[in-house]
Amino acid sequence: MKIKNLLLGSLTSIALVTSGQSLADYPNKDIQGIIMWGAGGSTDSVMRSVTPYAEEKLGVDVIMTNRSGGVGAIATKYVYSQKSDGYTLLMGAENPQMHKVLGLSSIDYSDMIPINILARGTPIIVANNDAPYNTFEEFVAYVKAHPGEVRTGMTGNGGLTSIVLAMLESQVKLDLTPVPYNGDGPALTALQSGTIDVMSSVIGAALDHIQAGRMKVISVIDAKENNLLPGIAPITDTYPKLSSYLPWGPFFGIFVKKGTPKEAIDKLVAAFHAAAENESFKQLMAKRGFEIMNESGASAEAFLERYRSVSSWIVYDSGFSKKSPADFNIPRP
Amino acid sequence: MYMLNAWVSLDYVLLTALGTLLGIYVGAIPGLSVTMAVSILISFTFSWDINNALCLMIGIYMGGVYGGSRTAILLNIPGAPAAIVTALDGYPLAKKGLAGQAIGLSTIMSVIGGFVGIAVLAVAAPAVSDFALLFQPRDYLLLGIMGITLVGALSGRSLIKGIFAGALGIGIGTVGLDPLTAEERFTFGYVELWSGISPVVVMIGLFGLTEALVQLHNLDKAMIKQKVDKIVPKLGDIKKYLPLSIQSSFIGVVIGALPGTGGEIASLMAYDHARRVTKKPEVPFGEGAKEGLIAAESSNNAAVGGAFIPMLTLGIPGDAVTAVFIGALFIHGVNPGPLLIETRPDMFWFIVGTLLLANVFLLIFGLTGIKVFSKIIQCPKGILIPIIFLLSIVGAYSIHNSVSDIWWMLAFGVMGYFMRRHGYPLSPIILGVILSHLMDENWRRAILVERNDLGAFWANLFSSPLSLTLLFIIVFVALSSTPFWRILKQKISRK
Repeated sequence: MKIKNLLLGSLTSIALVTSGQSLADYPNKDIQGIIMWGAGGSTDSVMRSVTPYAEEKLGVDVIMTNRSGGVGAIATKYVYSQKSDGYTLLMGAENPQMHKVLGLSSIDYSDMIPINILARGTPIIVANNDAPYNTFEEFVAYVKAHPGEVRTGMTGNGGLTSIVLAMLESQVKLDLTPVPYNGDGPALTALQSGTIDVMSSVIGAALDHIQAGRMKVISVIDAKENNLLPGIAPITDTYPKLSSYLPWGPFFGIFVKKGTPKEAIDKLVAAFHAAAENESFKQLMAKRGFEIMNESGASAEAFLERYRSVSSWIVYDSGFSKKSPADFNIPRP
Repeated sequence: MYMLNAWVSLDYVLLTALGTLLGIYVGAIPGLSVTMAVSILISFTFSWDINNALCLMIGIYMGGVYGGSRTAILLNIPGAPAAIVTALDGYPLAKKGLAGQAIGLSTIMSVIGGFVGIAVLAVAAPAVSDFALLFQPRDYLLLGIMGITLVGALSGRSLIKGIFAGALGIGIGTVGLDPLTAEERFTFGYVELWSGISPVVVMIGLFGLTEALVQLHNLDKAMIKQKVDKIVPKLGDIKKYLPLSIQSSFIGVVIGALPGTGGEIASLMAYDHARRVTKKPEVPFGEGAKEGLIAAESSNNAAVGGAFIPMLTLGIPGDAVTAVFIGALFIHGVNPGPLLIETRPDMFWFIVGTLLLANVFLLIFGLTGIKVFSKIIQCPKGILIPIIFLLSIVGAYSIHNSVSDIWWMLAFGVMGYFMRRHGYPLSPIILGVILSHLMDENWRRAILVERNDLGAFWANLFSSPLSLTLLFIIVFVALSSTPFWRILKQKISRK
């Protein structure tokens, strides 16, 4: 493994030396976009709906390929192994920010430059329609009265469900029975069929089911009410202390490897900024319950850092991370 | 009726036709998968009108599922996992020079299956999706067990070798991150192995490459002369097989509608069903029984309609292709979900109409190109084998755009070659790979849901009519293939 890293390092340094040529006319060939999740998933849909507008600005095609696997680590490693010339984009979600503490990979977004953080999702807690609780307080009271009886869907350590649960556990001890699923799609299905009773998800994934009356929402994991879910109290009403973590939520972003020439970055940032301003893209995202961010530069980096610090320390404090965030100089939130 | 919208515009009709035709070829080539084709189309059709895009994609889906049977019959290389079962009896037919007949029959049966699937989608979609939601983890486990009993049927001469192959398949299926705890299993530290070994890679290796390697031995042997005069099956034959076809189709719809199971499991179940209900096949199963072909082809095309049911009623994909459809609809501003039928009935019926149209084109294209297709098998081996090699490599790479998949495919191909030389059946391996995830995940989930209480697991199993029915079927199937059953039957008939 070590030799491989060394080799990779030396290869990339050679690439760095050789890639400095003829960038004045960037972009002069097609750009590769590597999507870290599979076709049809939410990351895939978001990227495929924003990129065509950016292509118009860039004047070249962005050829998108799905390279799923390893919770996003495979795509991240792949982009990191390419030349830093701005011709390979990483189109990803929040996952790599947890890779270091979970021991999945030695690369995260701090080794990349954000071109655009497109949008972010707001976590919520949904429950089966037949569940005997309608608010978060009632839910806590019920769990306390029936320890271990409430089953909750989980989507793996480091996934949204695990972090939300860890956030809640920092405020209240909940004795739930976790049932793992590989993705929130199957888990939301199981919630409707009564296999599980409650789970955390994002508004985008659950909104239609909620509006169709197939499940109910009992809390919004945010510091304020969400206008898509009027009347649902934010979690900070119950646990004001959580506001130090919030707003927190999964996000979608486009990245290039560190070392990419400034000219290429500027052009990409401008193109994707304009693309994310597109009215039909905005409508699309709003309908799916995603909050448009459209941020780049320092504000995007600050957002990424905050996400990494909150999530890393939460999973470390709840004891399921392999390594301490301190090992990677990740400050406490 | 919104459904007619799909038929009145020349654009729609032509695009559906084009899609279906493309689909047949995409499906026929191992490794060029329907999922892949539909994903590429998402980008390609981004700026199109959504209805046009849907026509093309639905055509490809319908044609692709059917197309998988072509190479399965002609070359023993299933174009897609759903066609693995087709190869079991289809290829022996081709070896007897009956490829034309086999393709003709499979076309008719695919179309019948397709119609049944679409009819159920149109008439009973909400009811079927509610039924699909009844399935608990334990029921998926029982389905998996039901499937694995098929090893017996797929073993050929030696049951022991069949069981060995099946177990090997299950072992291969466990490679990767544990689906429940994300613990690494048999990955030896390689990130490339985290998502496991794709069943399609195993399939391309074991069928495509192995077949090419085995054929190297027969390089100089004369080709089988194919009879291509009687392609369209006789009406009497269709009538005779219609009940089986309809039954298989219903199996296909239900399995297709279950999230997480698709055409490949549907065709396995239908094949097993056909083996049990067919009292006296003209030729034994596995040696070219038409019943086997019919069950496989009806059910996997019926599963297409089935897969659309949870997608259009709940926004849950029924299989990998419908997952991509959800993405496509989303990009075009339509939210497939529980509200779709109410808020966009035009969209729902347009999809139904297009499916129907694609199915009609399937019949036309399926029956017209057979003569040319059957000639493939007569193509000199010196040309055919390198092409198979090339397609296998391209196919393996294209699944995840990953070079390591090519190496896996090559390794499985070589392994398959030696296993075949030593009389090991290969299909149980695929069966194991396909089913191991289903059983692994759902057994553990089922027991977790009961908080690790085995007593509660059985209690709930026996109190659920659905689980009990599935269990009863498994016990019945198991018992009916033991000598004990024959003795019992004789005793009863003597009285």
